Amino acid sequence: MPYDAPLSIRSFPRAILHIDGDAFFASCEQARDPRLKGKPVITGKERGIAASMSYEAKARGVTRGMRLFEIKKLIPEAVILPSDYETYSLLSHRFYTIVRRYTPDVEEYGIDECFADITGLRRSFRTSYRGIADAIRKELENDLGFSFSIGLAPTKVLAKVGSKWKKPDGLTAIPGREIQNFLKNLPAEKIWGIGPQTSALLLKLGIFTALQFAKKPEEWVKRYFTKPHHEIWHELNGRSVLPVNTESQAKHYSIQKVKTFTPPSSDPRFIFAQLSKNIENACIRARRYKVAPRRCAFFLRTQEFRDYGIEVRLSHPTAFAHEIIRAAENVFPEVFRNEVLYRSTGVVLYNMDSDEITQPDLFGSSISIEKYTRLYKSVDHIKTRYGKHTLYLGSSYLAHRFSQHEGERGDVPERKQHLLKGESKRRRLSIPMLMGFENI
Amino acid sequence: MPSYAELMGIFGFKSKNAAFKLAKRLQEEGVLSKDPSGKLIPGNLFNAVRVLGTVEAGWPSPAEEELSDTLSLEEWLIGNKEATYMLKVKGDSMIEAGIMPGDVVLVERKREAKDGDIVIAEVDNDWTMKYFKKTGSRIYLLAANKRYRPIVPKEELKIAAIVKAVIRKY
Repeated sequence: MPYDAPLSIRSFPRAILHIDGDAFFASCEQARDPRLKGKPVITGKERGIAASMSYEAKARGVTRGMRLFEIKKLIPEAVILPSDYETYSLLSHRFYTIVRRYTPDVEEYGIDECFADITGLRRSFRTSYRGIADAIRKELENDLGFSFSIGLAPTKVLAKVGSKWKKPDGLTAIPGREIQNFLKNLPAEKIWGIGPQTSALLLKLGIFTALQFAKKPEEWVKRYFTKPHHEIWHELNGRSVLPVNTESQAKHYSIQKVKTFTPPSSDPRFIFAQLSKNIENACIRARRYKVAPRRCAFFLRTQEFRDYGIEVRLSHPTAFAHEIIRAAENVFPEVFRNEVLYRSTGVVLYNMDSDEITQPDLFGSSISIEKYTRLYKSVDHIKTRYGKHTLYLGSSYLAHRFSQHEGERGDVPERKQHLLKGESKRRRLSIPMLMGFENI
Repeated sequence: MPSYAELMGIFGFKSKNAAFKLAKRLQEEGVLSKDPSGKLIPGNLFNAVRVLGTVEAGWPSPAEEELSDTLSLEEWLIGNKEATYMLKVKGDSMIEAGIMPGDVVLVERKREAKDGDIVIAEVDNDWTMKYFKKTGSRIYLLAANKRYRPIVPKEELKIAAIVKAVIRKY
């Protein structure tokens, strides 16, 4: 068989879209402020590194994670903004809603990307799958004011290849008959789900391109790889095995909270307070999704960007902040070193259980769990009503006493500086605000 | 409503086909009807009864039925929710249309406007809020303030959004 013989003869046994916002955060900023159009815009000021950069900034060599002082050297006139997650979330929500105008089968995969299954909808919309994808793309651009790139393919893995194929503002359809044309020059490590470890193994086995991998017989794949990669192999061959998961924010495999503070500090009490605050926030999240971790990891990051972490197994699954903080307190001296400047702390909760079935351990009495469940319920209630930071544990006090960043990195997003009558620092209208229209 | 198999039993038919024919005849007369999945349901000869909420005794309260016909303030002000944004007004060019400095306008992103719309537009590299006027092929922007003259775009007119409502909170 010739190398580029078709992998599949059917065009779209399923029609799956992957829709990806182009430079999402930076585009959100440009779309609401005409002063920023056509300029190199970078978000992430509060983190000290580029979180997202507009295409004008990408064209001049800015990459994600680049330090801000490097960017300023590269582009002196760059517009560097603090992240306005509130606005990005509002627009992300609108993004999903617009896609749901076409199909209920939408998987919210990330703040700036989603999968959508449009199989069987050609007749309802009286157009081809490509036509539907194009209509979605135009509607997104009209309503949100910036562009999205779409991949249309019979599987999720291939749809992801498609959305990256032409960016920004691209629409790439990969029908079953043409899969081979898209995979033959694509390095295997560019495939969604194939990480550095797997691609290193593939290289050892003499596989360089995605097409070489897709063409291998099933026995070979089973021999060297496990289920996730076996599924990718099916998907590359145009057979859909990964369903579009419509549960919003489906399952929480892990919850992570990392916060940087400026200036860096070497004060153990302050640093522990930062960690404690992160744990409290991670626990709020866990309780909201009704999960409880069995394990967690804490880490401290030094000014030199070295991470020192430790993993802890909890005696029982819990989303009660005071219990996890107690666990952190025990191991903190093992991670913390005197005379070292730290810049951020972080916590990861994982190995999640449903919080319903949390069994008390031998030494914990179920009565106290009852009591704490009720206590935290009230705490969460107060927090939703009066603000996230109205009530916190004493161990987090020092982190709440000072603002997270002193100096330039403490800049607040512009939206939060323009409060309307009746809005407060804590609650604002859920409609994004256009800004920078000086003469209107 | 009975299924075809149950109809067979009731009427003593030997085949489902007979039951099907009976049901079909009843459907023609409007006694029965089918739901989207093909199941038999009562036809519209049976008058629909409105559900007014549960009432223990006395007369049903009309309140709940009427509430379903109301709009929230947000639904009333906003059409295409995903395309709607707020903009705080700074200038006075629409003052005679009742849009004052400090007001908040709700705008809907759109590239095209109709004659008479209040638009947010970019004219010759300057952003402005004005009435959009179109007579024949002639397009110009009109302020609601005698101090400003109509603007006829020299090069380009780019419409960003249409004003849908103005909000002032006291």
